[in-house]
Amino acid sequence: MSGFSGCPGSRMLEFQKEDTPEGAAEVRIASQLRQWPIQLHLVSPAAPYFQGADVLLAADCAAFAMGNFHNEHLKGKGLAIACPKLDEGQEAYVAKIRALFEEARINTLTVLIMQVPCCQGLVALATEALRGSSRKVPVRYVVASLQGEVLQEDWL
Amino acid sequence: MEQFLQSPIKELIGRFPALGTILEDYAIGCVPCSVGTCLLRDIVEIHNLSPGDEEELMGRIAAVVAPGQAVAVPRSGRDRAAGPGKVSYSPPMKMLVEEHRRILRFVALIPALTAGLDVESAEGRGRILDAVDFIRSYADRFHHAKEEDLLFACFDEGLEILKAMHEDHRRGRACVQGVLDALARRDAGGVARNLAEYGEILTEHIRKEDEILYPWMDRNLTTRQVGELYARFREVDETFLEAGERYEAFVRSLEGQYLDAVAEVGR
Repeated sequence: MSGFSGCPGSRMLEFQKEDTPEGAAEVRIASQLRQWPIQLHLVSPAAPYFQGADVLLAADCAAFAMGNFHNEHLKGKGLAIACPKLDEGQEAYVAKIRALFEEARINTLTVLIMQVPCCQGLVALATEALRGSSRKVPVRYVVASLQGEVLQEDWL
Repeated sequence: MEQFLQSPIKELIGRFPALGTILEDYAIGCVPCSVGTCLLRDIVEIHNLSPGDEEELMGRIAAVVAPGQAVAVPRSGRDRAAGPGKVSYSPPMKMLVEEHRRILRFVALIPALTAGLDVESAEGRGRILDAVDFIRSYADRFHHAKEEDLLFACFDEGLEILKAMHEDHRRGRACVQGVLDALARRDAGGVARNLAEYGEILTEHIRKEDEILYPWMDRNLTTRQVGELYARFREVDETFLEAGERYEAFVRSLEGQYLDAVAEVGR
């Protein structure tokens, strides 16, 4: 027994990391973000960068957990971010994702979530939007560990 | 050892028959394959064994073909998506696998369809022509065209595994022509033989695609390509919608007629 009985998504953890040695070369990683805004409430399915695009719907925490988020997950994709646990107005999220399928006619949707149970809500929102959409699109989900490793990926 | 990795598997099994048994131990069924032009390197890569199993397999192969030499096939990029043993298809692949299910439902009826074949009456010949129409229109023009024109085009057409799939398609078409030629001669035995051979080719061909080829393709397609394939497959489906319903009704009506007979043959 760990002694912790609350929500796994709020459980306090500390990851021990070694600091970068003094004088070590620091590599600057270029951002792969190609749009603004990115929050799901704020993005517009009519935006040109969503038309026919491969879109990444990422949980808010994912980019912080994954060291190579930009190159491995964001590169070449349109982006929307959301938190299925804390965000309000999630019925609007379903409508907006459906609009990405139907109006922006996106090519694919990748839902990137964290391993904590509450994050599954983002996949559920995408699933509900797909079910209600008149246009079907391949939807993939990727589950990341709290330290950014890919634990699972599959198509809905 | 590199030369063996680049050799067609049938040729290798011919030179070293023990390889066939070794491959079968890892559920790699190259021995009964009638084409056998796939290279050993591609076969090992395509089957996506666990790193431990692959190392063990390569060790056993090396002990037979080049004792004392170690060998490995680079694993870079091969461990993403579904792991070994788990078959999970992308949406466009799921569509093709669903089509396979319908083709296999038809193939399962071939023994009953050809038992006591009537090639003399117009009604009997019509039944065979309906079967040929299903094969040519649904299995070949609709399904195989999706594969050949759209899916295979995402890969290097020079790959031996793709040549083997094209060869299976060609052999299937030759069997169908054989059915028509035999029917024109009123040769019931020839019709039955060619249909049975078609069933055998397609059953093995579909097994290879479902279990080996499609999972490998899924591991190598980009997300972009998956989306584009899915959209193009749906376009094909939409143009074929009415015919698709007609061929589903055809298979269902055959099942209504012959399923009891198929169960009888299975007893």
